[in-house]
Amino acid sequence: MSQSASFARRIDALAEIFAFTAQAFERERIDDRLRHDVDFVLEELFTNIVKYGRGEAPVTVEIGAVDGGVEASLLEPEAERFDVTRAPAVDTTLPAELRTPGGLGLHLVARLVDSVQYAYCERERCGRVVFRKTRSAPSARNGDERC
Amino acid sequence: MLTMTGGGDVPVVFSGRLDATQAAAAQAYLDRLDGIVTIDCGELQYLSSAGLGVLLKTHKRLLGAGGRLRLTAVNRHLQDIFGYSGFDQILDIEPGR
Repeated sequence: MSQSASFARRIDALAEIFAFTAQAFERERIDDRLRHDVDFVLEELFTNIVKYGRGEAPVTVEIGAVDGGVEASLLEPEAERFDVTRAPAVDTTLPAELRTPGGLGLHLVARLVDSVQYAYCERERCGRVVFRKTRSAPSARNGDERC
Repeated sequence: MLTMTGGGDVPVVFSGRLDATQAAAAQAYLDRLDGIVTIDCGELQYLSSAGLGVLLKTHKRLLGAGGRLRLTAVNRHLQDIFGYSGFDQILDIEPGR
């Protein structure tokens, strides 16, 4: 079983997404200690869509329990292909004077969760990101897949 | 929701969630402070990359004027974020319980 809901492409919809996440964790009996990381990833992905996406259709979030953790997905209709697993690397060793916040969000997404997968369906022009987070340490099993 | 109090002679206290919807308000709050600015993060539950951007911009501005940004009572979630982003190497961070 899983919980799903759709959200308008507005930054202030984040509050609704976080409320949905809290509710889904409770209903699916998912370890609440994982919720901040899931919220973080959903915020990064959703705000990217709001800032750069050209479509207008609502974005759908789905959350379900898996063994030892949670699997969440974010579905973007009317999407251009943008593989979030192939975002440019960020140099996190630079001194403060040379730092810029750009790209940091997607860099952190890959490190906070166990896996991230991206799929794009040309026919339906639909992008989908699926990620998993468990209580085990994050790993780098990230990649893309086709619909 | 994010609540901000303090500043000047006492630490700034952030309570709640510093996400993309709160980043502009947090930036405006910090922009009025100078010198060595301490933020008590004991009640800050959540921080996104938008929040990291606020902290970075503030720290760079303070550094340019001889000051810096200090974070205290940083929880585990925030410690992870700071570690993965390398911010633990550029900010003065004191872990919480």
